[in-house]
Amino acid sequence: MDLSTSVAQPVATNDSILTLNGISKFYGRVHALNNVSFSVPKGSVFGILGPNGSGKTTMLGIVMDVLKPTSGSFEFFGKPATSDLRKDIGTLLETPNFYHYLSAEKNLAIAAEIKGKSKDDIQAVLEKVNLAERKTSKFSTFSLGMKQRLAIASALLGNPAVLVLDEPTNGLDPVGIAEIRELIIRLAGEGKTIIMASHLLDEVEKVCTHVAIMKKGNLLTAGSVDEVLVNEDIVEISATDLDKLAVVLQSLNGYTNIKRYNNYIQAFYKSGSANLEAINLHCFQNNIVLNHLQLKKKSLEAKFFELTNN
Amino acid sequence: MLHLLKIEWMKVKNYGTFWVLSILYIVSVFGANYIGYLFYTSAPKNDPMSKAIIGTPFNFPDVWQMVSYISSFLMFMPGLLLIISFTNEYSFKTHRQNIIDGLSRKEFIGVKILLTFIVAFVATVAVFLTALLFGLYESTTAFSLEKVEYIGCFFIQVLSYCSVALLFSLLFKRSGIAIGVYFLYTLILENMIAGFLNRYADNIGRYLPLETTDNLIRPPVFKVIINQLGVPSYNTTALLIMSAIYLALYYFISFRKFQSDDL
Repeated sequence: MDLSTSVAQPVATNDSILTLNGISKFYGRVHALNNVSFSVPKGSVFGILGPNGSGKTTMLGIVMDVLKPTSGSFEFFGKPATSDLRKDIGTLLETPNFYHYLSAEKNLAIAAEIKGKSKDDIQAVLEKVNLAERKTSKFSTFSLGMKQRLAIASALLGNPAVLVLDEPTNGLDPVGIAEIRELIIRLAGEGKTIIMASHLLDEVEKVCTHVAIMKKGNLLTAGSVDEVLVNEDIVEISATDLDKLAVVLQSLNGYTNIKRYNNYIQAFYKSGSANLEAINLHCFQNNIVLNHLQLKKKSLEAKFFELTNN
Repeated sequence: MLHLLKIEWMKVKNYGTFWVLSILYIVSVFGANYIGYLFYTSAPKNDPMSKAIIGTPFNFPDVWQMVSYISSFLMFMPGLLLIISFTNEYSFKTHRQNIIDGLSRKEFIGVKILLTFIVAFVATVAVFLTALLFGLYESTTAFSLEKVEYIGCFFIQVLSYCSVALLFSLLFKRSGIAIGVYFLYTLILENMIAGFLNRYADNIGRYLPLETTDNLIRPPVFKVIINQLGVPSYNTTALLIMSAIYLALYYFISFRKFQSDDL
């Protein structure tokens, strides 16, 4: 695949929330980020995918001004980033960072004070992450999952229009993961822009509208999920007599490739060109009755491995 | 500004370690002076020899100098308090979170510098009140503000220790190493280097960073003996200028470092 065509060009329009222009970061001789450029459209759920050490957190650290880029620039809402702009972005970066000796409530009070948000929000955000009952407990007594929930609560203070979540389901139990996923979908439904870094493909696939894939500090591809993930249609076809089916399928038009497996055959088409009815009709007219016919999109996992392995 | 101080207050308000140490420090300022007072009062009062050597250090106006001098032996404590609270930010990574939440780096480091002034000021007030207390209790002489400038010298000295504490916290980030280096440097290492330089390099050791402010307050007792030892004389103006230069340097390095570092 030609990567250069699928990488979204950073065009800072009124509709882009965050734009990165050629961000590079070196730690000595290690290239943590290598000339990364992309733009996050307003209202998107933007997933940043990459294996451990691919530069996801470094990149988010740079846009939050806790790390200094070696070169390149970035913009929020089309403007150079300032500390005041960060007050209106709810961010969870890497680990939950709170004062160990303070309660959940008091920690959020500090965050609210910094962000200039009302303290009335604190109870509501604690309820959203199911921590209201433990609000007077010290942060040091919390489990990893509870710490993570508190960090998400803190990001939600003041109901920001933009959320930056780095591995938001880290340390959560399966119920917690499902809850956070629901929360993200609900927030996205309210029109919020969510930038989410994760190495959990399943998570990104379920909630994201856009995706950027990174490996060893390089941006491999970025764009809408449909563009990035679907570049061919895969049709799974099966019948009792696979040999005969294989012969019949040869005479079909339009496919690019056919692969035979143990109990089904896959036919590959250019994106959007597979016509299931035509396949069904063709087989039936050639005296084959299908017992399985399904259009599959290439899974994110397959795509991810394809991109990160070469 | 008040907004920033309010945030710092919220951080420290429920921090037990800070308050326990602060209260013990203030009690110790009184305690250390009381120990000195007990020594003084145990000396034979009417013996002209001891009177000439010791003088009347707990009477006005010498009490300002005496209490400032004795209290300066606890100089490391306000700095320790600051190191603990500054390195907490690093160990909890809340210095990053504060920036992420919307403080600018300038605001974060700016309010920490302001805290060195506040802590130094509170310590100075404690010393002022202690001196006042002993002076009034001795009350053989009338209340006087003569020599009260020693309280001002104490402020400069404690401010200098607090700023070094800030600088060491920023340089070492972890509390263990910052505290270790701070104690060894302030109590032993700099005194060692100063002693060496004083002997072999024309007394320039007295202008080392903390020696400079240490020398602002000299002992008010045993002057007769000290003068006979041939201890170098000190030029107060030069010491004050050097103190100002060092303070500016600590703050400049701290500020620059926090502005440009990866946090």
